[in-house]
Amino acid sequence: MRLSDVMGQAGLAGYAEIALILFVLAFLGICWAIFRPGAKPAQDAAARLPFEDDPTGQPEEETRS
Amino acid sequence: MNAQLDSFKYDDAIVRKFLVATFVWGLVGMLVGLIAATQLVLPSLNVVPWLSFGRLRPLHTNAVIFAFAGNAIFTGVYYSSQRLLKTRMFSDALSAAHFWGWQLIIVAAAITLPLGFTQSKEYAELEWPIDIMIAVVWVIFAVNFFMTIARRRERHLYVAIWFYIASIITVAILHIFNNLSLPAGPFKSYSMYAGVQDAFMQWWYGHNAVAFFLTTPFLGLMYYFMPKAANRPVFSYRLSIMHFWTLVFMYIWAGPHHLHYTALPEWASTLGMIFSVMLWMPSWGGGVNGLLTLRGAWNKVAEDPILKFFVVAVTAYMMSTFEGPMLSVKSVNALAHYTDWIIAHVHTGALGWNGFLTFGMVYWLLPRLYQTKLYSNKLAEVHFWIATFGMILYATAIYSAGVQQGLMWRAFDETGRLQYPDFIETTMKLMPMYWMRVAGGTLYLAGMVIFGWNILKTWQSRPAKYEEPVIQAAPLERKPGESGKNVFAGFSVAGHRRWEALPILFTVWTTVAVIVASLFEIIPTFLIQTNIPTIASVRPYTPLELAGRDIYQREGCFNCHSQMIRPFRYETERFGEYSKPGEFVYDHPFLWGSRRTGPDLAREGGKYNNLWHVNHMKDPRAVTPNSIMPAYPELLTQKLDFNTIQKHVDAMAMLGVPYGELIKDGAAIEAARTQAAEVAADIESTDPNLTGLADKEITALVAYLQRLGVDIKKANEVAAARLPAGGQ
Repeated sequence: MRLSDVMGQAGLAGYAEIALILFVLAFLGICWAIFRPGAKPAQDAAARLPFEDDPTGQPEEETRS
Repeated sequence: MNAQLDSFKYDDAIVRKFLVATFVWGLVGMLVGLIAATQLVLPSLNVVPWLSFGRLRPLHTNAVIFAFAGNAIFTGVYYSSQRLLKTRMFSDALSAAHFWGWQLIIVAAAITLPLGFTQSKEYAELEWPIDIMIAVVWVIFAVNFFMTIARRRERHLYVAIWFYIASIITVAILHIFNNLSLPAGPFKSYSMYAGVQDAFMQWWYGHNAVAFFLTTPFLGLMYYFMPKAANRPVFSYRLSIMHFWTLVFMYIWAGPHHLHYTALPEWASTLGMIFSVMLWMPSWGGGVNGLLTLRGAWNKVAEDPILKFFVVAVTAYMMSTFEGPMLSVKSVNALAHYTDWIIAHVHTGALGWNGFLTFGMVYWLLPRLYQTKLYSNKLAEVHFWIATFGMILYATAIYSAGVQQGLMWRAFDETGRLQYPDFIETTMKLMPMYWMRVAGGTLYLAGMVIFGWNILKTWQSRPAKYEEPVIQAAPLERKPGESGKNVFAGFSVAGHRRWEALPILFTVWTTVAVIVASLFEIIPTFLIQTNIPTIASVRPYTPLELAGRDIYQREGCFNCHSQMIRPFRYETERFGEYSKPGEFVYDHPFLWGSRRTGPDLAREGGKYNNLWHVNHMKDPRAVTPNSIMPAYPELLTQKLDFNTIQKHVDAMAMLGVPYGELIKDGAAIEAARTQAAEVAADIESTDPNLTGLADKEITALVAYLQRLGVDIKKANEVAAARLPAGGQ
């Protein structure tokens, strides 16, 4: 029996839904990490990183969100 | 100042090297593109074999992608990473090895592609020794980059760095798995995969090469250089994080949209389409984020050529990432596939997004790297306008060409017959548009020349010795209790930062996202047998046909001829029975092609006699007036290398092609000679002037062409023979 026969008969189709659920959960987790209250100050600081190499060239405006 | 501060210097010398290489290879790659575009309107420009269209086209694509865009990526990555991570690159020696190694690869490509050494997979044409070099140099780059991250003095990894990490990891995976092949000589190899599976791997690679070589690294550059040029932080950092993760999770699935209505299983094609449509959202999220970074600075765009380049670059990104999902919808794809529409789509992305972002970045870098003023802002403006105009000319012409030819291919007249049964009719209609493309390309190239002049003059006014400012930054301290073990701690704010601060874990998760998506799609294609039903009458190519197939690959015939008839009436009327997955099980590599500059050849076998093919290869215009195909008279005089045939058959046998007795020493050569003598005798019997072709390359090529798509007809003959008299 070849590996392809084993795979063909293993009834793996249902695992697609499990994968979908896992991916949705990962997506929700990322959304939570991003939009969680209290995450903003860290993100604002991160957004300013490109300007830290040059003390004279500070950005004219802050990030909006 | 704190006594604990570290002092260090940035390595800008390496950035200057990559910058110059970006320009030089950009000029070469675009010039080759212009020559290839001109050959399509003036086929007589295919003067020597090594400069014929089939060999130049891959040189053009490789040069602009890996040499121009590649060096542009490295320029920006080396400049921005050091500053974002507050450290010098890990090792000057590794940086130098990366730079010179990459240039060596480009030179090797520029030599081997015109010589006809090719794996014939798009954007993965380079043969196995160069593939190994690429892998080694990429690892050098990766080690240098990740060690730089490890030595950083800034805890948080800015989003640009994430994009760089994802690109480095994914390109490595793509490159290795798509190029798995069995060497059959110093510059000859056969893909491990065959037919449908090879096509699937190739477009998993091909699409993601666009994603992780031409998109994500450039997005990293956008997220660094656009805020710098506009002097304001990115519009929304949150959106940039979202942009990153959604792209990394989704891009990898989209590849099969390159294979709609081919012999690929339909589920794979549908999956590719759905993910492609979903990709529209994150792409536009990122594009909008880029454009809104200019909030309150739009007045600057009027006077600053750098911002102009960036605005057009991001706009082109948004146009291509709207068009990509649209083209992936099956019904749209049915019209666009194999036409110039795809070429136009690619060029909107390459000329607009990659080109303009590179130009903007380089103009921003020039005064900083050469520590002087930009030679001429005015010339930069001229460059911008001339390149924009060139791009518009190119796009307008080639979009029109694509839609027009697509519509002509599917047009039926009132009697239900093909309205344009002669393929050449549809080609001739494109000539005015092809001339317009030449004009557009010339303008874009003229812009490059102006760009080069500006770089040269700026470089000339550099100081005698570059200043190397000493940078001071506090070393990174490990926070108490920080540990790399708790991966899922990532979902609290402090934890999220801690998580990002651990590049190894971050990299692992990115890799997992990419690999899991790949496996979900790839494993079923390889391991579920029902996906590729076998056809008993399909047999391996004879040794002579295999040699002919090697010549077909060498000359790059697949650049203009597809071997894949889609199941549409207008295709089957024109080319014959539609292609079945089981017909390609011995095709290492697959040669389905992606553009029909000439007609499909999947059912070419038996359509014309041997003599027709000889005359057609010798002078296509003598057989088909107005044909734009290059002539190959040399195939009638060049001797076929019979000695390599055995090695090639043996290699195919090792890949599982059932060659039986033919792998015995010399058996394949003997078989090839016998078949060659028969083909040559047939040619001579129809035209007594054509003598002595039995040991010439043309014989092998004709044998191969006559074999294309005939096996399945044998199955029909067998079936027909079994029918009672009077049956059909």
